[in-house]
Amino acid sequence: MQAQLLWRTLPSLVLGLLFLSMPAMGSCSDKYPELLGQLQKQADFMQHTNTLLDLYIRSQGLDKNGLKEHCRERPGAFPSKDALQRLSRRVFLRTLDTTLGHVLLRLAALEQDIPKAQDLEMLSVVKLNIRGFKNNIHCMAQLLPGSSETTEPTPTSPGASPSPTPTLDTFQRRLEGCRFLHGYHRFMRSVGQVFREWGKSLSRSRRHSPHQGLLKGARRMQLSGRNKRLMPRVQLAPGSHRGAPGG
Amino acid sequence: MRLTSILSEPLPWAPESLKVSINSTHQCLHLQWSVHNLAYHQELKMVFQIEISRIKTSNVIWVENYSTTVKGNQVLHWSWESKLPLECAKHFIRMRSAVDDATTPEQRFWSNWSSWEEVDVQNSLGHEPLFVFPKDKLVEEGSNVTICYVSRSQQNNISCYLEGVRMQGQQLDPNVSMFNLYDVAFIRETGTNIYCKVDRGDDIKGIVLFVSKILEEPKDFSCETRDFQTLSCTWDPGRDTGLLKQLPQSYTLFESFSGKKILCKHKSWCNWQVAPESQEMYNFTLTAENYLRKRSVHILFNLAHRVHPMAPFNVLFNDVSVTNATITWKVHSTGNYYTLLCQVELYGEGKVIQKHNVSVKVNGELVLSGLQPDTEYSAQVRCANANHFWKWSEWTRQNFTTVEAAPSEAPDIWRNVKSVQGYCVVTLFWKPLTRLQANGEILFYNIVVKDLDRPSGLQLLSVPAPANRTELTLDQRSYQIHVTANNSVGTSPASVLVVSGDPGDEEVEEERVKGTEGGFSLSWKPQLGNITGYVVEWCDRPRDPPCDLQWKHLGPNTTSTVISSDAFRPGVRYNFRIYGISTEMVPHLLEKKTGYSQELAPSDNPRVVMSNLTSHSFTLSWKDYSTESQPSFIRGYHVYLKSKAGQCHPGSEKAVLSDDSVCCKYKIDDPKQKTFVVGNLQPESFYEFLVTPYSAVGEGPHGAFTKVTTPDEYSPMLIRIILPMIFCILLIMILCYLKSQWMKEKCYPDIPDPYKSSVLSLIKSKENPRLTIMNIKDCVPDTIEVVNKHEGTGKSPTEPEAAKPTYLYLLPAEESYSGPGPCICFENFTYNQAASDSASCGHVPVPTKAPSQLGLLTSSENLLTALEKNCMNSLEEIPAGESSLNYVSQVASPMSGEKSSLPTNPPQPELCSEYKMQMAIPLGLAAPSSSGSSSLSSITLLDEGEHYH
Repeated sequence: MQAQLLWRTLPSLVLGLLFLSMPAMGSCSDKYPELLGQLQKQADFMQHTNTLLDLYIRSQGLDKNGLKEHCRERPGAFPSKDALQRLSRRVFLRTLDTTLGHVLLRLAALEQDIPKAQDLEMLSVVKLNIRGFKNNIHCMAQLLPGSSETTEPTPTSPGASPSPTPTLDTFQRRLEGCRFLHGYHRFMRSVGQVFREWGKSLSRSRRHSPHQGLLKGARRMQLSGRNKRLMPRVQLAPGSHRGAPGG
Repeated sequence: MRLTSILSEPLPWAPESLKVSINSTHQCLHLQWSVHNLAYHQELKMVFQIEISRIKTSNVIWVENYSTTVKGNQVLHWSWESKLPLECAKHFIRMRSAVDDATTPEQRFWSNWSSWEEVDVQNSLGHEPLFVFPKDKLVEEGSNVTICYVSRSQQNNISCYLEGVRMQGQQLDPNVSMFNLYDVAFIRETGTNIYCKVDRGDDIKGIVLFVSKILEEPKDFSCETRDFQTLSCTWDPGRDTGLLKQLPQSYTLFESFSGKKILCKHKSWCNWQVAPESQEMYNFTLTAENYLRKRSVHILFNLAHRVHPMAPFNVLFNDVSVTNATITWKVHSTGNYYTLLCQVELYGEGKVIQKHNVSVKVNGELVLSGLQPDTEYSAQVRCANANHFWKWSEWTRQNFTTVEAAPSEAPDIWRNVKSVQGYCVVTLFWKPLTRLQANGEILFYNIVVKDLDRPSGLQLLSVPAPANRTELTLDQRSYQIHVTANNSVGTSPASVLVVSGDPGDEEVEEERVKGTEGGFSLSWKPQLGNITGYVVEWCDRPRDPPCDLQWKHLGPNTTSTVISSDAFRPGVRYNFRIYGISTEMVPHLLEKKTGYSQELAPSDNPRVVMSNLTSHSFTLSWKDYSTESQPSFIRGYHVYLKSKAGQCHPGSEKAVLSDDSVCCKYKIDDPKQKTFVVGNLQPESFYEFLVTPYSAVGEGPHGAFTKVTTPDEYSPMLIRIILPMIFCILLIMILCYLKSQWMKEKCYPDIPDPYKSSVLSLIKSKENPRLTIMNIKDCVPDTIEVVNKHEGTGKSPTEPEAAKPTYLYLLPAEESYSGPGPCICFENFTYNQAASDSASCGHVPVPTKAPSQLGLLTSSENLLTALEKNCMNSLEEIPAGESSLNYVSQVASPMSGEKSSLPTNPPQPELCSEYKMQMAIPLGLAAPSSSGSSSLSSITLLDEGEHYH
């Protein structure tokens, strides 16, 4: 058991240090491919349920037949993969940043229901990772063309509110927490896929024009997002793309 | 009348304004009411009877009489906790009252019941399809809990589970079911999940039942002071309840004399400030409490009896001498009223060697005596309340070292004497003094050698420590040797030993002793006369030079001792010498002992040399095998002999080896006998033998057997005969060779010349002129008769007619002859007898055409064939006298020689090409006359040794 915990904790710690490496240095990396690769790996890591959800389910006793089936993401709690893919890069990053901010708040609330120090330690590592990830998002946003232009409003996900209604009893709160974490991992998986697509477009652009790859890729994504920004499933705030860079 | 009037009128003190409220969290019904017509200043003891019904008014589930003293206008309260969650069913409450005052017993009549008050929480639940109650209930493990669900639809089939296990419930009404849980257990800190689901739907509702472990009573509660200012109270809180977040527990300390109470910040200890006024007695109550339970423990004590002094300080050593030291220390002040008992422990070499108790007010002092010089000691001090012992303080420890003194004991010495070239080489050994004997660091050893024959002859040697030996070369006189050890303070007493010129050690026989794990038990005969003691001498490592000489001094009355050493090993022979020391300090060898601490079976077999191998015996010897260096006393040898016959002769016995093979075993009981003759063997037989030593603990390893095969019985005899014969033959051959001329003359004289024959002279003497010797040159042969005789009785199928004489006409007048030329064979009678054994006639026909003949003669085989075909006769076939023409002739043949030297060139036609009994054979007749038998004789004819040149 201790060994298992160690194996779970060690990669998290390493990743946490990776996340915090750039803020610790006080500046962002200006290497787009490197940063993109990091974000992708970090998202891939955070999508694994053993980093958070499994721990929560076990500590709350939700790992019982007839109960764990109800630990499913509530629709609308997090942006879907399609919705994320339709966003421009800038809006995507902002959405990601905002959503993870909500996740942090929610994790702080969930912390109250986790009594074991060991589990709390794991949770604090997860929070550390998310904060590092948010920092990398910030750095990535700076690398995108037109970063100095007007800031776009951030679309919010209604489901990713800081905490559920306080009147909920412990059981309902427990189930909601489980569903939320399920959605969080799914969300991070989608984020990873989006970043992977960014990487693919980068390599395609490099093959055609090494210098123009980044800009073209960014523009293509933005155009794509612009064309579909009014899709109702995304539930973005109106005018969220007015600051999209022209590239 | 009066009674009637009372009954007909409402009682003046009936309950009124009854209100019911609920507390869902605690599942409580809370009632409040007032008493009708009770004057403001009036105070009355009353009893209220309360009835509670569930679901319907007729289903009364609770009746309770609540007695209390009621004052005027007072609002009364009463609570009731429902086992069933209040949300699960309607409840109805009513009450009535009576005066419960002893002063007015006549007033004990119940008032009328109040009207039923209905409590229906379900109405306020909302519109969700399913509810489960009670929410987040806290209970102790072992409790009984009732769970219920409320469904909004009767059509729903609802199942409820406890931690995934379905529960069986009891239906209260079509929409409500309840589940009784008995003796609930603690499962996890986050509570037990109980949930209900609509079977065909996604709805799930549940509760978390927080089950706590039972709060334990604090154990080992005690308080003490170290400084009379603070009381430190400690306890063991016991196990956790498991629900520290939902069910925090608190510890409070209450002192009844002072009435003070504090909430402890820690779960296992608490500090209490001692009151400035001198409170001697304290009565503490420690209360552990959580929402579900409260536990208390009490202690009562006098403060002076709970003093735990602080550790002494300023521990010092003064006036440290060779054997004494003074230790001083101080204690923390505990007021002037108390005396402390301090304990001093003195440690030497890690063990407590002295223990002292000292009463102390403020400063302590103690003289430690009986110490050893130059020794490091450690002393520690602790103190406790002398009047009412409670606890010792912690130890305070300090080290010190006593000063040096001169060595107190003479060194233990011994010697080893060897005679080298007329001198005594004395190796002098001494053992280092122990710490107790040395009294300081030994710096050097002084050795004084005194010549007993010349008192003035003194020699002084100084050997620096830590040497433990020195070598002295002395002449054959007697010397007295004094050895002293010296440290920085002084000199030890001297050890004295006399070395005499004649050791006299040779005449003592060695005895065997048996050792044990504890050592060797040695004993010797007491010596008469002036003996000051005995010395036993041995080597710890007898096999490895230097052998690490050891010795042991024993008193004059001792005649036995046990020699033990960690160096003793099993399987090693140890030799002990016992000396008696005379009053003149001269050692004399008394006895020699030898033995093993543990005998082991021999590990090696001797190297055996086999000799004298005959057809019936052989000899084995292992003379270089040393019995002294074996791991046990060798008692003899076993000779194992394996043979195919498997029979053992007298003197041996059958033995079965570890590999189940059977062999004969000969036993040699004398370890000094190192040869053995194995006899009674069979000639030309295979044997295997093994020689292994044996001792009291077993025999040597059964390793590889040596193989030997006995020779056959006649070989030696044959060798004895054949060798001389060969020698003789060789001698004869040499003689023959050397006398070959003589032999030739005797056995093979030259062919006589007819002209030189005596016969001729005889003829001449008779003067017969017609008689002369016919010269062959003068003869003109005309015909040669050739007689063909076939060997054997059978005819050749290819020969149609019987052999008959053939006439060869030699005269040229014969026309029938057309061959290239005649071939003439002459027979020499002189050689007839000798040649008749093997020689035969060979004939090489003259080829008609040279090239064709060349082809036939390219190989020796063809040549032989040709020869066979032309061989016509032999001497046996032509006996002397039968032929009319017989000649003596020797013709050189170009074809003579070995077959291997056949020419490669085609043979030239030669007449009479071989010296044989030769005949002139027409070529055309050659073929018909050949036969198988003649062929055989031809081969014989060509045998290498039979050719003549």
